[in-house]
Amino acid sequence: MNGEGGADVLVIGSGAAGAALSKRLSDRGARVVCLEQGDWIDRDRLPKSHVDWEVRGRRFWAANPNVRRWPADYPVGSQGQDPVDVYMYNAVGGSQVGFAGNYWRMAPSDFRVRSLDGVAVDWPLDYDELAPYYAINDLEVGVAGLAGDPCGPPRDPFPNPPAPIGRPGELLIDGYEKLGWYWWPTEQAITTDAYRGRPACTNRGWCTFGCPQGSLSTADLTYWPGALENGVDLRTNARVREIVIGQDGRALGARYYDRDGVIREARAAVTVVACGGLGTPRLLLLSSSPAHPDGLANSSGLVGKNLMVHVQSFASGLFDEPVDGWNGTWGGTVSTRQFYETDPARDYVRGFIMSGCRGWSPLNLALQIAPWGSGHHKAFDERINHEVSVYMCGEDLPEASNRVELDWSQLDEFGMPGVLTHHELNENSRRLGRDMIAHAHQVLEAAGAQSVRDFGLAPIWGWHLLGTARMGDDPQTSVADRFNRAHDVPNLYIADGSSMPTSAGVNPSATIQALALRCADHIWERRHDWRSVE
Amino acid sequence: MAYDRKQGEHHVTQSSRPDYRVAVGRAEVAVGAPRIFAVLEPARAATLKAWTSTLIPAQGKRPDAGSVGAAEYIDATVLAVPSIRAQLLHGIDEVERLARATTGGGFVDCAAEARENILRQFQAADESDAFDMVSDFTYEAYYGHREVLAAIEVENGWPGTAPMSGSVMTPFDPGRLARVRSRPPHFLVVPAAKRVEP
Repeated sequence: MNGEGGADVLVIGSGAAGAALSKRLSDRGARVVCLEQGDWIDRDRLPKSHVDWEVRGRRFWAANPNVRRWPADYPVGSQGQDPVDVYMYNAVGGSQVGFAGNYWRMAPSDFRVRSLDGVAVDWPLDYDELAPYYAINDLEVGVAGLAGDPCGPPRDPFPNPPAPIGRPGELLIDGYEKLGWYWWPTEQAITTDAYRGRPACTNRGWCTFGCPQGSLSTADLTYWPGALENGVDLRTNARVREIVIGQDGRALGARYYDRDGVIREARAAVTVVACGGLGTPRLLLLSSSPAHPDGLANSSGLVGKNLMVHVQSFASGLFDEPVDGWNGTWGGTVSTRQFYETDPARDYVRGFIMSGCRGWSPLNLALQIAPWGSGHHKAFDERINHEVSVYMCGEDLPEASNRVELDWSQLDEFGMPGVLTHHELNENSRRLGRDMIAHAHQVLEAAGAQSVRDFGLAPIWGWHLLGTARMGDDPQTSVADRFNRAHDVPNLYIADGSSMPTSAGVNPSATIQALALRCADHIWERRHDWRSVE
Repeated sequence: MAYDRKQGEHHVTQSSRPDYRVAVGRAEVAVGAPRIFAVLEPARAATLKAWTSTLIPAQGKRPDAGSVGAAEYIDATVLAVPSIRAQLLHGIDEVERLARATTGGGFVDCAAEARENILRQFQAADESDAFDMVSDFTYEAYYGHREVLAAIEVENGWPGTAPMSGSVMTPFDPGRLARVRSRPPHFLVVPAAKRVEP
């Protein structure tokens, strides 16, 4: 085994959280090493650099790792009544490299669902504690949007203006205005103007298929350049096998396979796990030892439990007129939080957002609805450039039975286990989902759609993988404390979506990154407690 | 990608189940590249070509799938992923067998309506996933092809190359928000909880 000199902080995972944390700590002067099991994205291979971009999106760029099978990917099984179609990327920038850029803040009530609604758990922190970090993150990322939305607390002006909404956005505004609902231009992690050396968005659309322009604010483009400039030692193709614990119960660092398969060890005073909602519990469970027989940081038994994925769906309205659904950022039209807060008049608690998108692209549309044979073109022609889609995202409450486990029957290239997810929507989520879809139909019809189709609630769209190592004040009911520090290991932090106690009803990237920045500041403030591991 | 799920028929791709969708994940086969058949011999190649043209026939300015190289694309995919070769050969041979049983001739000699009937017969009985595989690959080869995208732009106003080039759009008009701005806040104000600092 090859040992390596110690750093102040070892970060495992270079995605949304790991990148933000590495940059923030290195800004302060900490010596940071980051281990990333994937590699840098080859930007020449981004699908949208090629005319057959939709096909590349089904193979090389497939969001499901079982299909894509990049060298760093591990197998993911999906079980349960509502199985999760898992979408994630193992690369510098993590799953953000394939995200759409929808970039919401949580609402104050999201942090207090137990107190307010009697369900799930409260967060161990409040909106006001996270708000300053949302603001820092907005500037780092270059968020586009417009301040003043009455559906959220006051906030600073956005660093970039909202994306052009195009005809789909105009139609949705017609619908919202007719219904008298609140709406607002969607906040996005996209540089709509030139910003900090990154170019302005040119409205190529289909953001999840990669942004050759570099305007989509993925962590490899936002935080990593500055972190590397600060001297962060980012080691790619470094697949961590286990976190190493010393005799005193403190984390010493991590053991990992390098790109040649050689086992190495990286040591640091503080270790941070930021491998995402599946990767983090996988690593903690893999790090079992006589002192931690059920997995590291798992005295609560909650590592891997409470997997949340959001209640999600799409609805598409069919319009008589062409809708120019091909241009503009995929998620950058207008959204509503009309139904975000709990309403006693409804038969469920918590709520959802609806976010206007564009129309479906040719291959995706044809696969969705165009039958083969003589009726193919008629079905295709009816809908191409005549559909406007609405994305829906609602709160998925935590359930211990929804979980991630190691799957020793499916191994990765280094013989380490894959994971199995188990997921079933609870009754509250089903009711919320049905209502959410009904309201999407309502707004599309109000906008003038002659008919509306939707995708129902299952299989689950698995973009948001949350809650599997949650934070809380009580070590018996949570894995990490209010600053993301593991209850069981004093110098181990868990700083990614897995730490979220509840899911809220919005896309989680902004919250994940704000939490990571807050965690970084806490680690820095406790530097007196760092101990050398040289 | 996540957006390609068939309406009402989507199944999660599993790591533990043999599935052409998993097998081809690493097969990067450029659509529309000039190529000849490398796996299929001429007779089977002809059947597959007729099959793809039946799945997506020509209409207006849009060519049929066979004439934009869908069969060659499938052949190239199978060349890259030998594990699905048997599935493809089984499918082609079964279609050919059905054609001879129902018309007495080969599939390529059948009229369009007869071809469609034969394929529907095969699809209904197919337990090998071969039909879905050929169908999916044909859609890929068709809707990834420059010539098809150009025709769609002419006939439907959908510019297939826009994701590569971008477009100029009108900025959002904040004036549209007048009504919403005039309304009261619409979120729950939550008093801060008292917490003990560590």
